Amino acid sequence: MSNDPSTSSILEDDQDTINSTTTSTITPTPTTTTSASASASSHNSSLSKCQSAVQSLSTILPSLPPSLSSSSNPAHTLLHDHHTASHISSLLRQPDSGAGDNNLCRWLYDTFQSSDPDLQLLVLRFLPIIAGIYISRAALRVPLAGFEAVLLALYAHETATRSGHSITVSVPDLSHPSLYHESKAPTKNNSTGLNLAVISPSLEPYGTVRSTRRARIVGVALELYYSKIHEMPVQSKIEFCEFCRVWAGQDGEMYKEMTGSSCSSRSESKEEDGNGEKAGSIPLPWELMQPVFRILGHCLLCPNQNKELVDKGSEACRSLYARSMHDINPKAILVTGSLLRLTKQALDTNDDFDPTEIPKSRIISI
Amino acid sequence: MESGEYEEGMVIEFSANGNSMKATDVQAKLDEGNIQEAESSLREGLSLNFEEARALLGKLEYQRGNLEGALRVFDGIDLQAAIERLQPSLAEKTPSRKGRTRSDSQHTVSQHAASLVLDAIYLKSKSLQKLGRLTEAASECKNVLDAVEKIFHQGMHDAQVDGRLQETVSQAVELLPELWKQAGYYHEAISAYRRALLSQWNLDNDCCARIQKGFAVFLLYSGVEAGPPSLGVQVEGSYVPKNNLEEAILLLMILLRKLSLGKTKCDPSLMEHLTFALSLCNQTSVLAKQLEEIMPGVYHRVDRWNSLALCYSGAGHNNEALNLLRKSLHKHERPDELTALLLAAKTCSEDSHVAAEGVGYAQRAISSAQGMDEHLKGVGLRLLGLCLGKQAKVSSSDFERSRLQSEALKSLNEAIALEQNNLDLIFELGVQYAEHRNLNAALRYAKQFIDRTGGSIIKGWRLLALVLSAQQRYSEAHVVTDAALDETAKWEQGPLLRLKAKLKISQSLPMDAIETYRYLLALVQAQRKSFGPLRISNQVEDDKVDEFEVWHGLADLYSSLSHWKDAEICLSKASELKRHSAEMLHTEGVILEGRGQIQEALAAYIDALLLEPYYVPCKILIAALLSKMGSVALPVARSLLSDALRIDPNNRKAWYYLGMIHRDDGRIADAIDCFQAASMLEESDPIESFSSIL
Repeated sequence: MSNDPSTSSILEDDQDTINSTTTSTITPTPTTTTSASASASSHNSSLSKCQSAVQSLSTILPSLPPSLSSSSNPAHTLLHDHHTASHISSLLRQPDSGAGDNNLCRWLYDTFQSSDPDLQLLVLRFLPIIAGIYISRAALRVPLAGFEAVLLALYAHETATRSGHSITVSVPDLSHPSLYHESKAPTKNNSTGLNLAVISPSLEPYGTVRSTRRARIVGVALELYYSKIHEMPVQSKIEFCEFCRVWAGQDGEMYKEMTGSSCSSRSESKEEDGNGEKAGSIPLPWELMQPVFRILGHCLLCPNQNKELVDKGSEACRSLYARSMHDINPKAILVTGSLLRLTKQALDTNDDFDPTEIPKSRIISI
Repeated sequence: MESGEYEEGMVIEFSANGNSMKATDVQAKLDEGNIQEAESSLREGLSLNFEEARALLGKLEYQRGNLEGALRVFDGIDLQAAIERLQPSLAEKTPSRKGRTRSDSQHTVSQHAASLVLDAIYLKSKSLQKLGRLTEAASECKNVLDAVEKIFHQGMHDAQVDGRLQETVSQAVELLPELWKQAGYYHEAISAYRRALLSQWNLDNDCCARIQKGFAVFLLYSGVEAGPPSLGVQVEGSYVPKNNLEEAILLLMILLRKLSLGKTKCDPSLMEHLTFALSLCNQTSVLAKQLEEIMPGVYHRVDRWNSLALCYSGAGHNNEALNLLRKSLHKHERPDELTALLLAAKTCSEDSHVAAEGVGYAQRAISSAQGMDEHLKGVGLRLLGLCLGKQAKVSSSDFERSRLQSEALKSLNEAIALEQNNLDLIFELGVQYAEHRNLNAALRYAKQFIDRTGGSIIKGWRLLALVLSAQQRYSEAHVVTDAALDETAKWEQGPLLRLKAKLKISQSLPMDAIETYRYLLALVQAQRKSFGPLRISNQVEDDKVDEFEVWHGLADLYSSLSHWKDAEICLSKASELKRHSAEMLHTEGVILEGRGQIQEALAAYIDALLLEPYYVPCKILIAALLSKMGSVALPVARSLLSDALRIDPNNRKAWYYLGMIHRDDGRIADAIDCFQAASMLEESDPIESFSSIL
């Protein structure tokens, strides 16, 4: 390999090492189990953090997976343990789960603050449920201080990682040469012609969740989630897609055959009515929608797809498309419309053409 | 595996060195597991060496689908050794850069050998891939590329490389990132993609386009941040992407450019990916440019217009969007396209000059919302209401205006029955009722909006405070404003502080108001210093308080307190920020008038009107001054006031002065009517206009 994968770790992680003293390096390769830490001492401290996190989790959950005691990386084991995840999920979904004195929220907060990357991943894994329930309940005047503490911790982490800076994209312009193409036009000035787009504005530190900043704080937490999304278990992404549907507050089933055959008889099962309409349809400002779309794009079109995830993602995308139509939000219509068409194309192409296959011949020659 | 399955690809014979040989015997030997025998019969029959024979056998097994068998055959060859043997044979011939002295025959022989070996490794990699042993497959495939790089120091040029070898190399280049990707080694995949695209492999256009697209898609959706390319490949003065989005957008743009030059096949998904990427960056105007560059014929013109309209609308270029929609909604095109109708109606609802046109689009949208689009009927009704409400603002007669206003309310109420979850609609109903001075209904919707949004949207708080202020419930309005300030981050408090200052004035607490203005001023100035022009996207973006407004507000406040000196200082500060404005001339006139310089005051008011012919406050002030100048001026004053009332029928001051003129003229009954109107309006006057928050 000319380009060692560990050297090309994400920019944010490079900065992260400046901020946190205990962690060695976060290598976002799929082989996290083997590349946990460089030095033995930091490995030990990470292990002891994990053990204490597991210890306190055992007082909250009825049972923990038996394989945990023998695991060399308990955080990783927990992250992928279906049983534990469903326990925690059901606890988070309880009506009083977000209160300030909630044990689980406390645990999630403390575990994230441990600044151990594997443990932080474990907390992030539950962000879809936390954010989903939190935003849906925000209008109901129930205590949510526990959820808010966790979300603020994620927000603060991202703020520190970026040193509060905004994330920008300078949109390329083909009249300038780039590393992938040459330009015929003589280049007079490099800086002109590039559009600078802010995809995430600069971050102010917040100590509390003010209601007008709620969407931003959750949005930034979702940006953090997105940056680790390839390490997330599928179930976590599925939960995210389910909450997207709730947030959209629209049933998008009429767009099932968005392009193509005429719509047949619709089987409209209005589940929303059962859940109570209040729960759905939250305000979706761009600062929340944009990270949602990025995550959704991953769910629908990432490599090595999972069929259940694609199905859930499509449902979410249809709902958000319907919502964008109701809001007549042009950017959201463009994004969700494109995602729907791309997903449909991906499903429709039974193109067997494989350019890397050798041509079959009846005569083999040298 | 059964060879029967591979009927289509059945091998009949081998050929080499001018001889040919039936495949059946060899196949039979292989099926018995006798690789050596199969190999030696090939060597004898076709006079081949060991490696050549093995390569042929491997290919036969691969093509028969006997992948394990193919691997067994290939394992017999020491491919690494073969590669090492190859290197000097080609490389030492070109010790110096310019020298291509080797003879052609030698060259072909070496290439032939290289081709044979690389082909074998490639097939080994393919076999491993099909067996699901992806990591091994990837490392074999990587061996092919490493070998090619060692053999061809200076990159591959078509003149030097025979077709077969080139084909294998291209396939390996394309396969490698795919293998790493399938194996879940995403960082290796990124390196492989970059290696494919940045080294000289002499790939053909289609192959290169496939890799570029594959990489762009990977960058957009894999969720793995690739990081900027290594410094080695960066060329001075050229654009180097620094994150996934930039790199993906660059690649997609290059692909679209190739497409429009006819170098690659049409692929509609390219545009969809680019739409996703650019919309996420808020760069729909760049997207529009890309769409415009696409050759005609790829998209239907109406589709293109509609997509462009969405792009322009997303970028805030409403006029361009509307022009395109007018074309696409023309009766000869697609007059019933619902998305276009809704977007057109929405665009029109934001501008009173085209609101009447918007009414038409909204009505068409309502009648098109059928079948699977029925759920959008409420949206059509909502837009109809908004357009009617906007149209009412520019209507020429009172009668027309009230008709439009009540129709607007009717439509919005029909809409809310269908769109109970539409938060915007709840807000708009609140504003519409407030403008209609149905303050109780307005209050209900304002409260509902805050409840349903959990207080997360600032304009909800502002509406509630304004409605309360219109009901003269100043202290409650004050409580609401303070609560809103608590829920707002510092940088977004501007409009709320302005509201608070005005509330203090209404509560006759001018000193508190001055204090609030001072704080607001400090905030605005700090904001200007700490954020450059880059700051975007917060909720208050379209309603930011600027420094001019604060100075002007202070000037107004001081002049109402008859602190002329302070008022003048504030005014001069304001004029540094904005040279000509009707508001400023207005305040200047008030100060002059207060100091008894009536003629100068009048001149200032008239100047303001010259600048902005529809500026109501100055019309009223001129009329007020004229009415004091004796009976000659009364008709002029009266016409100015009726003019003011035509523009703003809810202006209580205009009614008041009109009443004064009627009284002076002796029309007591008319005067009473006017005074009554003035007093009724005073009881429902908000401290800022309701339309200021829409």
